[in-house]
Amino acid sequence: MAIGLAACGSGSSSGKEGGTLNATFAGLPDYLDPGLSYTAEGWNAMGEVYIPLLTYKHAEGVEGSEVVPGLAKEMPKISDGGKTYTMQLRPGLKYSDGTAVKASDFTFAVERLFKVDSGGSPFYTDIVGAEKFAETKSGGIPGIEADDKTGEIVIHLVKPRGTFTNELGLMFVAPIPPDTPDTNQSTNPPPGTGPYIITKVDQSKGWDYERNPYWAKANAKAMPEYPSGHVDKINVSIIRNPSTQVNGIQQGKFDWMQTQPPPDRYAEIRSKYEGTQFRPQPTISTYYFWMNTNRPPFDDVKVRQAVNYAVDPAALERIYTGSLKGNQQILPPGMPGYEKLDLYPHNLAKAKAMIKEADPADMNITVWGDSEAENEAAVTYYQDVLTQLGFNATLKIVNPDNYFTVIGNQTTPDLDTGWSDWFQDYPHPNDFFQPLLSGESILPTNNGNFAEIDNPKLNKEISRLGEEQLGPEQEKAYAALDREYMEEAPWAPYGTRTLSTFVSSAINLDNVIFNATFGQYLTSFEFK
Amino acid sequence: MALEPQPDPALPAGEPDEGFPAAPAGVDAEGHNPWYLAYRRLRRNRLALASLGLFGLIVVFALAAPLWAEHVAHTGPNTTHTTEKITVDGEKREVVDVEGKPIGPVWFGAGGKFFLGADGGLGRDEMVRLMYGGRTSLFIGLTSALITTILATILGLLAGYYKGWTDGIITRTLDVIWSFPVVLLGIALGTALAVGGLKIGPLELSGNSIWIPILIIAVVYTPYMARPIRGEVLAMREKEFVESAVAQGAGSLRIMFGELLPNLWSTVIVFFTLNIANNMLLEASLSFLGAGVQAPNSSWGKMVSLGTESIYTSPLLAFAPGVLILLTVLSLNVFGDGLRDALDPRSKVRLTRAEAAESAAGGAI
Repeated sequence: MAIGLAACGSGSSSGKEGGTLNATFAGLPDYLDPGLSYTAEGWNAMGEVYIPLLTYKHAEGVEGSEVVPGLAKEMPKISDGGKTYTMQLRPGLKYSDGTAVKASDFTFAVERLFKVDSGGSPFYTDIVGAEKFAETKSGGIPGIEADDKTGEIVIHLVKPRGTFTNELGLMFVAPIPPDTPDTNQSTNPPPGTGPYIITKVDQSKGWDYERNPYWAKANAKAMPEYPSGHVDKINVSIIRNPSTQVNGIQQGKFDWMQTQPPPDRYAEIRSKYEGTQFRPQPTISTYYFWMNTNRPPFDDVKVRQAVNYAVDPAALERIYTGSLKGNQQILPPGMPGYEKLDLYPHNLAKAKAMIKEADPADMNITVWGDSEAENEAAVTYYQDVLTQLGFNATLKIVNPDNYFTVIGNQTTPDLDTGWSDWFQDYPHPNDFFQPLLSGESILPTNNGNFAEIDNPKLNKEISRLGEEQLGPEQEKAYAALDREYMEEAPWAPYGTRTLSTFVSSAINLDNVIFNATFGQYLTSFEFK
Repeated sequence: MALEPQPDPALPAGEPDEGFPAAPAGVDAEGHNPWYLAYRRLRRNRLALASLGLFGLIVVFALAAPLWAEHVAHTGPNTTHTTEKITVDGEKREVVDVEGKPIGPVWFGAGGKFFLGADGGLGRDEMVRLMYGGRTSLFIGLTSALITTILATILGLLAGYYKGWTDGIITRTLDVIWSFPVVLLGIALGTALAVGGLKIGPLELSGNSIWIPILIIAVVYTPYMARPIRGEVLAMREKEFVESAVAQGAGSLRIMFGELLPNLWSTVIVFFTLNIANNMLLEASLSFLGAGVQAPNSSWGKMVSLGTESIYTSPLLAFAPGVLILLTVLSLNVFGDGLRDALDPRSKVRLTRAEAAESAAGGAI
């Protein structure tokens, strides 16, 4: 699950070109390899280095969730009832090492995902032959036909997949040179097609970017609508402590911090710099408490609904020191299909009465959460709410590094209820329902459906919608699905996260573009 | 810290120490038992007594937690008040403002509620948590020190008395524990046990049980106490009184617990006192690092950890529990030193404790 960010307010360019952007990250991203990275940090770092066939519009808010042609000339032609995608590679594209981009490099990139067991490979298993290739890792994927002469790429799917254009816009399938080894290339990232290249990676200190020498010569001409960027160099320093990063920005040592300011300083930064150096950025995310619908007392829908009445988003907004906006439904604002529901206005007295009526036999429950500061506070609040409802709630706090492994493993005892969050992989509502709420997603390990809800009628609706291309009618259907799930109440959702852009006074904040999928675009940073 | 036995600094120069037989002519000092002599020596050590008094006050502060919570603050240590408002000196104020900043100390402005303010976004009463946290910290410190002392005394006696392979097994096992830096071993055990809990035969502890940090701390400090005790036993078992006990046909148990143990008391008591302080510090470190007391329970270490998250906006939240840890540990250490001087002015405990402290510090991150 990636952290994606939507944004607001773009200005016209009036700054100067060139210069070196000094940026800071809290650590090296999971990978600096486009086939492997599956975190917000990684996508943020490589979004302008590796361009997929399709990409997301360099724009903010809902507009930024639009899939547009990247290395492909135009949007794919979809035929055969949604099972065949045909695209044409733009002519004249080059990698940063000067070699030409070929249509078959796309095939190579997809095959490499399966060879390196990338976390992104499940998005592409519907391609004909991909399932088999995942097992044998040889013989190629017959479902992709790439013609290097004409640049035509045809993809055959085993069944229609409504999210496929979104998935073609992810960096996992960005073409890379076919001599890239089938191993993690994070220390020496492969040549890319974007306006910037990563020149040097130091695991402990950071990494650097320069302009791609073949961008101006070749790619910028082949794809004129793609921004070329303003600064010449970007140096990223790894600074673990976000408070030190804040100090660095204030002193002008750094121009941009990718990390979030610490909650303790959020209010101070917001009041001092909002509009000039700081901008809150709503994300497409849902923070929620899941309730295991398979175990008492949460096997009773009345109990789950009562918990929804008892949880107060206003309290959680405070606990997240203003970096969370209350939202009590599956889909967050900004996601296509979002229609505001107000099913559970906070009412503790009503919740208590409902629990009394439901009279659950088992009042001993375990509440799971991770120890990341605000999340731990959130689940501590939740435990107190459950205690007020009369439950004997025991808190279990797990280190964030293995929290999801622990709660996603069904042999872990006492998985009654707990905290979780989800950031979109791409702006498509199916990305919330399929992995988190469909019966198919209940797995013995790496389970994503923590509530273990397996409602045949709703499962069917998820699969049906998953095969259709997203349009106004489907968006309505997703909104209806949201309501139906919230009536079933497997979750008590409480909000959507607000992240932020914080830059030094030397940077033109108005021009920084924050994308729902790729974070701040490196090409949008510009000195005043 | 001095490594040589020194004359008791608490005694005014020139005044004879009652512990020595050099009593002035005409005064019969032989009738006093050693405990009485120690008590008299301790009574003169004002600093040690003041420390004991301070420790006593801290204990009373912690013990009064339920009274304060029920009659003054009217809230529990884990009750959240995020969206509530209170009246401070006639003025309505939010416990936590919309940006998540908690209310600061209001002293008696709200009739004792939120005396020290709220503890962060959750809006729990800091004073109540501080008092309950003290209970937890002291309880862990005392109980684990008691367990360490019992374990270490038994193991030290067995190893020192039997020597040979019994000594080999016990000492090597303790060496294995000793070879890990204390804090590192504590974190490793703490994080592992916090999720799954502990199951040994009929003993079953859930992950957030307070007994998990207690047992961890008790076990990791056992070698630091058991080894010096073993050393003393080794030296003592060759003495005449043991030989005479053997000659009288006394069994091993009788010799160990009837003859050797009474001679170890002074060492054990001093160790126990100093161990409480060390254990409280370790508890604070473990809880600070998330491997000790588990949420929502509070302990001073846990509170310092939570407090550092808002060190810019509400420094008191980390400072208050930090000061209490400091005072408690300081008072116990000063009192422990005084106790050692009183019980056995020529004791070598000082040396071994310095070593223990050094090893413990070496294990800190």
